[in-house]
Amino acid sequence: MFFRIIKFAFQNFYRNFWLAIVTVTMLVVALFSVSTLITLNVVLDQAVKSVEDKIDVSIYFKKDIEEAKILAAKVELSNLPEVEKVTLINQEEASLLFKEYHKEDEVILSSVDSLDENPFSNLLIVKAYNMEDYSGILKMLDKKEYSSLIEKKDFDDHKAVISKITLIKDRIKKIGYIIIAIFSFIAALIVFNTVRITIYTHRNEITIMRLVGATNWFIRAPFLFEEVFYALASCLILISIFYPLLSFLEPHFNYFLEYDFDLISYFKNNFFYIFGAQFLAVAFINSISSFIAMKKYLKA
Amino acid sequence: MVKFENVNKTYGEDIVGLKDINLHIKPKEFVSIVGQSGAGKSTMVKLLIAEEQATEGKVIIGGWDITHLRKSRKPILRRQIGVVFQDFKLLPQKTVFENVAFAAEVCGEKRKRIKEIVPKVLEIVGLEDKLDRYPKQLSGGERQRVVIARSLIHRPKLLIADEPTGNLDSLNTKEIIDLLLRINNFGTTVILVTHNKDVVNSLRKRVIVLSEGKISSDKERGRYVI
Ligand SMILES: Nc1ncnc2c1ncn2[C@@H]1O[C@H](COP(=O)(O)OP(=O)(O)OP(=O)(O)O)[C@@H](O)[C@H]1O
Ligand SMILES: [Mg+2]
Repeated sequence: MFFRIIKFAFQNFYRNFWLAIVTVTMLVVALFSVSTLITLNVVLDQAVKSVEDKIDVSIYFKKDIEEAKILAAKVELSNLPEVEKVTLINQEEASLLFKEYHKEDEVILSSVDSLDENPFSNLLIVKAYNMEDYSGILKMLDKKEYSSLIEKKDFDDHKAVISKITLIKDRIKKIGYIIIAIFSFIAALIVFNTVRITIYTHRNEITIMRLVGATNWFIRAPFLFEEVFYALASCLILISIFYPLLSFLEPHFNYFLEYDFDLISYFKNNFFYIFGAQFLAVAFINSISSFIAMKKYLKA
Repeated sequence: MVKFENVNKTYGEDIVGLKDINLHIKPKEFVSIVGQSGAGKSTMVKLLIAEEQATEGKVIIGGWDITHLRKSRKPILRRQIGVVFQDFKLLPQKTVFENVAFAAEVCGEKRKRIKEIVPKVLEIVGLEDKLDRYPKQLSGGERQRVVIARSLIHRPKLLIADEPTGNLDSLNTKEIIDLLLRINNFGTTVILVTHNKDVVNSLRKRVIVLSEGKISSDKERGRYVI
């Protein structure tokens, strides 16, 4: 019985070869647009992240503060749940870093060396997990016990940038999801109609099956199988188009991101999330469509 | 074999399909049902194969009350009734053999049995030498004989033919009617729905006349007169 269902499904497939081609093409186009949108979303997300990654707060301590107090502050900051990392750069290190950075520039180097005193402050660099958390961290630093130690914080320079980026990020996310939703919906409509055409071309067969006493599930099974097969075929085709395209585009994305983001391995790592979910979605939509489309012919 | 008890069938609110139908068809009978267009003949057939439900009354086949048959039981009923419709077509992309076999396949018949029984029913309708033809390579009469062969695949006790000779010339019509008579002689109850006066008059069998959903005459060895 199972064998027969498979046989009928494949007969449907090659007897309506062109319709099958059209169906699969439609599915591939639909899946491709959704995948492209997902990719764009990932890339934009990554772009925002790459900007975010460059942002941190530098806290410059007054020169006369003992190192113990600074270390205490470091521990306290590190213990905050929203803080990812706190790095201490003491005066000597700051000086070295500065010299290293300007090693080509004799004038600057000699002018630093000519000073009696190390001009640099002890400094903590605080990196939060999320951009949104910086305002909380800053608020904490404004408390009395800290504000007396701190000479300046350089975060205020970033504030405008951060709020802008946060805004853009949220907007991109929202728009991305809306576009993906709209596209998925359109794709589902297209799929539904293609399935309806498939069923329509088989209406005589369905009537005959019904009137000679085939059970409804037997009538349905080959069509359901066919639809799941289309879903699988279109996903495989999608994957075989998508990966070469990704590896072609990846260097361009990375240039744009100024950041080494391995898009391919992102897709590999999330393979089952991205393509598995799309397969399941398409298989589900296809099956539901064929179920609904057949109802008309199976009612009596 | 077939009983209608006080059957009424209305479509929607007020379209009368059948009205006060009381009828008893005995096993092995050959019954013609005639009547003008819209008289309710096809409605009767649809009630018999449970495609439509009676609004009132009871429809009984072989002692089985099928008036309100559950969906899951309909296939069981249909495997015991052969149906031949005017527009109940063959599949153009399948051969004669495959068309007949299809009816058995979709009901889960075993392969070995299909190989045995398909040539047998095609022999009954006289097409044993055209197994590999496609429908478009057959005449109208031959095509209708394939449809009849297909309806015989489950060895039905009841064969219902709604206008089986609808678009055939008189020679082909006679062949089909002779075939139905032969099937009837094997012991199958046959219900023939037709418009064709000559057919009915030459049969000299029971004739039921429907008009406006009611039985207006029911006679053994009847004639079709309007
Ligand atoms: N599905 C339906 N919905 C509504 N009305 C219907 C339906 N089927 C049949 N009817 C009506 O029921 C009445 C009987 O129709 P039926 O098909 O039984 O006639 P018939 O005797 O078979 O006619 P014909 O000789 O033209 O085939 C007609 O008035 C028809 O319009
Ligand atoms: Mg009719």
